[in-house]
Amino acid sequence: MASVNAQIKRGSAELAVLTLLAEHPLHGYEIAKQIEEQTGGVLRFDMASLYPMLHRLERKSWVNAQWQTLPNGRRRRCYRLTASGRKQIAPLRAEWRAFFQALQNVTGFQNA
Amino acid sequence: MPNWMQIVRKKLRVLWICSPGFAEELAAHLEDRYEALRCEGLSADVAFQRTIGQIEGRCRVWLVIRFLQEELMSGYITKIALPGLLTSAAAFVFYCALALVHIQPRVIWLLGGQLSLWWWCLLPIYGALGALLSQRKGRSRLQRMAAALLPSTILGTSVLMIFVVGFTMSGFVNHYQLVFARLESLGIVPPGFVLMPAAFSVLGVGIAEISTKKSRLA
Repeated sequence: MASVNAQIKRGSAELAVLTLLAEHPLHGYEIAKQIEEQTGGVLRFDMASLYPMLHRLERKSWVNAQWQTLPNGRRRRCYRLTASGRKQIAPLRAEWRAFFQALQNVTGFQNA
Repeated sequence: MPNWMQIVRKKLRVLWICSPGFAEELAAHLEDRYEALRCEGLSADVAFQRTIGQIEGRCRVWLVIRFLQEELMSGYITKIALPGLLTSAAAFVFYCALALVHIQPRVIWLLGGQLSLWWWCLLPIYGALGALLSQRKGRSRLQRMAAALLPSTILGTSVLMIFVVGFTMSGFVNHYQLVFARLESLGIVPPGFVLMPAAFSVLGVGIAEISTKKSRLA
């Protein structure tokens, strides 16, 4: 599988995380794992990129994080999408659609 | 199961000091990762090595850099610069006020020069003020410390620039006495106006931290 350029990865990361959190609240490891699984390993977050990004989203009030105690007694910081975060998904999707459309026009590649 | 909290505390001491919550979150991530690898059938040793690899070497450096970048640069103006500048202004006004009312704060000697003990003694208050102002906006320990240290950083930069210009000019006039005077002041000014104020400001941050923690507990 061809590796995706780091800049594109970074740009698309917020959209991927917000979309995942729109379905249900998750903690950091679950977010990384689900993104990796759902993209077949093309998008893979290391801790250095995932957690600063999650905290940035939290500062923007797009996500809300709370410590929760799991049934096994462990504490995990669970991220939940806020109403403000939910509103960001559509514009971000439109932005990425426009980007891919533009790229398609230039390079002539078609979505699979 | 390895104690990931302790490992993170040891390997990422900076993060642990600046943001214990963030460090705890990383420890939880590593714990989950380790367990997942074990479930995949890897031996405890291999799983441990692979997991710890995420906070070692280049990964560790990158993690700290990204954390500092996010913490210090996001909301820099409101969380660090404004509280820091207010602290600087307050400390400077106080210093000028002492000079105007002819109170001689020069009571101790350091490296052959006289320095302002009274001014230093009150700097923790300004450090704490900067930290508390920053806390109202940011609530991050690192940002509070940066806000309290900003006055010393500004002074440090100014002193450095003055010396660079001074040395350059004295080089042009080839005046050995002037060079000597600059060297002498280099031993007095940075410790007196940069390092010691920084230490006293950090002391103020510590006091603010303790008082905030106590009020929370109460």
